[in-house]
Amino acid sequence: MSKGTNDLVDILVAKLKRRQLVGSSAVAQATLKLLIVVISKNNWSKANDLLNLVRSVGQRLIEANPTELAIGNIVRRVLHVIREEFRDAEASSKSDDHSEFQTVPLTTSSSMYNLLSETGSDDKEYTHASHNLRSDIIQEVRDIRIELDTIYENIKNQATNHIHSNEIIMTIGRSRTVEEFLKMASSKRKFHVLVAETAPSYLGQQMALELSKAGIEATVIPDSAVFAVMSRVNKVILGTHAVLANGGLVAISGTHMMAAAAKHHSIPVVVCTGLYKLSPLYPHDEDSFNVVMNPDAVLGFEEGDLMEKVTVTNPYYDYVSPEFVNLFITNQGGHPPSYLYRLIVENYDPNDHTFDPLA
Amino acid sequence: MSKDFDVVSNYKSLLLNSPELSMPVAAIQSLVELIKHSNATTMSEFMLSINVASQMLKSSVRNSISLSAGCDLFLRFVTRNSQDVAEFEAWKATLIVRGQSFVEKADACRYKIAELGKAAENHKRFKVFVTESSQTHGGIRSAKVLRAAGIPTTIILDAAVGYVIDKVDMVLVGAEGVVENGGLINQIGSYQMAIVAKAANKPFYAVAESYKFVRLFPLNQYDLPTYNADTLSFQELNVDYDSKTNESGSVSSSAAPSSALSQTALHMKTSEDQASQGSNPLVDYTPPNYITLLFTDLGVLTPSGVSDELIKLYL
Repeated sequence: MSKGTNDLVDILVAKLKRRQLVGSSAVAQATLKLLIVVISKNNWSKANDLLNLVRSVGQRLIEANPTELAIGNIVRRVLHVIREEFRDAEASSKSDDHSEFQTVPLTTSSSMYNLLSETGSDDKEYTHASHNLRSDIIQEVRDIRIELDTIYENIKNQATNHIHSNEIIMTIGRSRTVEEFLKMASSKRKFHVLVAETAPSYLGQQMALELSKAGIEATVIPDSAVFAVMSRVNKVILGTHAVLANGGLVAISGTHMMAAAAKHHSIPVVVCTGLYKLSPLYPHDEDSFNVVMNPDAVLGFEEGDLMEKVTVTNPYYDYVSPEFVNLFITNQGGHPPSYLYRLIVENYDPNDHTFDPLA
Repeated sequence: MSKDFDVVSNYKSLLLNSPELSMPVAAIQSLVELIKHSNATTMSEFMLSINVASQMLKSSVRNSISLSAGCDLFLRFVTRNSQDVAEFEAWKATLIVRGQSFVEKADACRYKIAELGKAAENHKRFKVFVTESSQTHGGIRSAKVLRAAGIPTTIILDAAVGYVIDKVDMVLVGAEGVVENGGLINQIGSYQMAIVAKAANKPFYAVAESYKFVRLFPLNQYDLPTYNADTLSFQELNVDYDSKTNESGSVSSSAAPSSALSQTALHMKTSEDQASQGSNPLVDYTPPNYITLLFTDLGVLTPSGVSDELIKLYL
C-alpha cells in the first residue's frame, strides 16, 4: 500500500480510537471516503490483491473501534461491489468461449446449486484487469457515496404513508433520521409527538426542542412514564445505532423498554434506518456491541461515601430483539424484520464475514 | 435401463459400510452408480430411469424425508443440465464426474457447519444435556461421542426437558429436513422441545446441511409424507402387561437415576415395544416461529431465508 494512503488510514484509525469520530453516519462517510482513495491510489491487478487491500484497511479500522458497526458494513459493501465488477468482467470475457455447462450466473456465490456445479465458488484469480474495470469499481463505490448522501431524502419521502392526522407518535433519543421523517410528515399532517427524555444523556430533550422549532407539538416525558402513557400512543418511531442480521437493534439505552411496552399494548414499532446500518453479524449475547460511558452522569462523583458501596454502570446502548420490531423503513423502502436476510444477501458477501486475508 | 443394478441394495450397503455417511449423500451416490450402469441411449429413457430409481429409494425407507431431499436435488441438477446436451455419452461421463464431486462436497458440508461452532476445540467450557431418545437410543450414543471429546454431558429423560430447560442457555438440534417455510423436520420430540424452549425464552437453533432443504410445505404434523394410517392407531395387542417384572417402576429421585435409565434400555425387544414402535411416528414438524436460527453450510440463516435458497435452485 502506498505511503500516502497509509498515512490517511493512520489518521482515521487515530480518530476512531480517540472517539473523535462517533455516530454511524459520520463514521460511514469517513470510511467510504478513505476506501475510495485506497482503491484509486494503489496498484492492483488481480481480484485477490484488491480484496486483500480493502480487507486489511477494514481490519485496522474495525480494531480501532469495534462497536461502530457501520465501518464493517461499508467495507463489506465495497468488497461486494468489487466482487460483482470482477465477476461481470469475467462473465463478459467468457461469453465468447462456450463450455457445455455454462451455468446461469446466480445472485450470490453460495447456493445449493453450487453443490452440484463444476467450479468452487471461492475467489478466483481474475487475471483480466482492464482500465475500465478500475474506473467501473470506483464509479460503483461513488454510487454508494451518493446513496449515503440521499438517505434522509429517501426515508422522509415515505413519511406521509405512515403518519396520519391526529396521531400520537412516541420516540426516544435524538435520531436525525427520525427528526427528518417527522418534519416531512408535519408539512402535510398535524400530529403530536411524545419524546422520552432519555436519561442520562437527555438527548430526548434536544429532540423535542428541534421538533418544536419545526412546528411539531412535542411533549417530553420521563423514561419511567413510557409504559404508563403507551396505551394512548398510536405508533412508536425509533432510530437506531445499528441493525443486526437477525433483525435485532443496537439502539440508545431505553429503547428496549419502550419497545417492550409497545409490544405489550400492541402498538406498532417502526424503525427508521439507512441500509448502511445493517450489519451481517449476529448478537451472541445482549452486550456484544455495547459500550459503557461515564458513570458520573448516573451517580455523581460528589456522592463520595456512596461510591465505594455501590457499582454504577452507564451502558450507552440497548439490544432490542427482533420480536419487538414491526417494520424497518429504509432508503430502499419498508421491510419487515424477516426480510432482512434478503437485504444482507443482496448487499454483502458471505466470505466477508471476517476480514482475514484471503488465500 | 439396466435391470441388473439394484439401486436400493447399493444404497443400503453404502450406509452399512460407512455409518457416518448421511442418507441423502448415500442416495445421490447410489444414483451416480446407477448412471454408470445405465444402458439408456436417449435422454428421455435416461431421465425416466433416474426418476424410477429415486422413487424406489424413497419407498424403501420408512423415514424418507432427507432421502427425498437428496434425490430431488440430484434430479433437479440433472434436469437443469439436460438442455445443453450435444453428445450423450460425453454428457453422461461429465455427469458422473460431477456426481462424485458432489458427494465429496456434500460430505464437506458437515465440516463447514462445524467451523461455525468449533466450541470444544477452541477450549470453550460448556456442558450438554442430551435427551435419551428412548426408542432409538441416539441420545446415549451422542453422549458417548461428546464425552470422548471431553465435554461434560448428562443424559436426561425425554420427559425431563421441561424440568431442565431453566438450567440451559440454548437448545441445539439437528435435522432430517428443512421445509419451505423454514420449519424443521426432525426426530420425534423436537417439536416438544421447541415449544418448551419458547415458553422458557431460550433460543432454539437447528443445524442442517443445505442438501436437506426439501420442497414440502406441511400445514400441520399429519401433513408429512411419513404419516400413514398405522401411525398412532389404536391396536389390539396380545401382550399380557401384568406378567412383566417391575423393573421400570417409578424413577427414584435420589440415588441411582443412571441405573433406572439402563434398565429401560433393556426393554427394546418385547413385542409391546415393537408394536408401539411401529405405530408411533419417527419424525415431527416444528413450525418456523419456534426456530431462532438455522446453521447451514450456506451460512447462518433465519427461517425466512430458507425459501429464498430453495427458489434459487428450483427457479
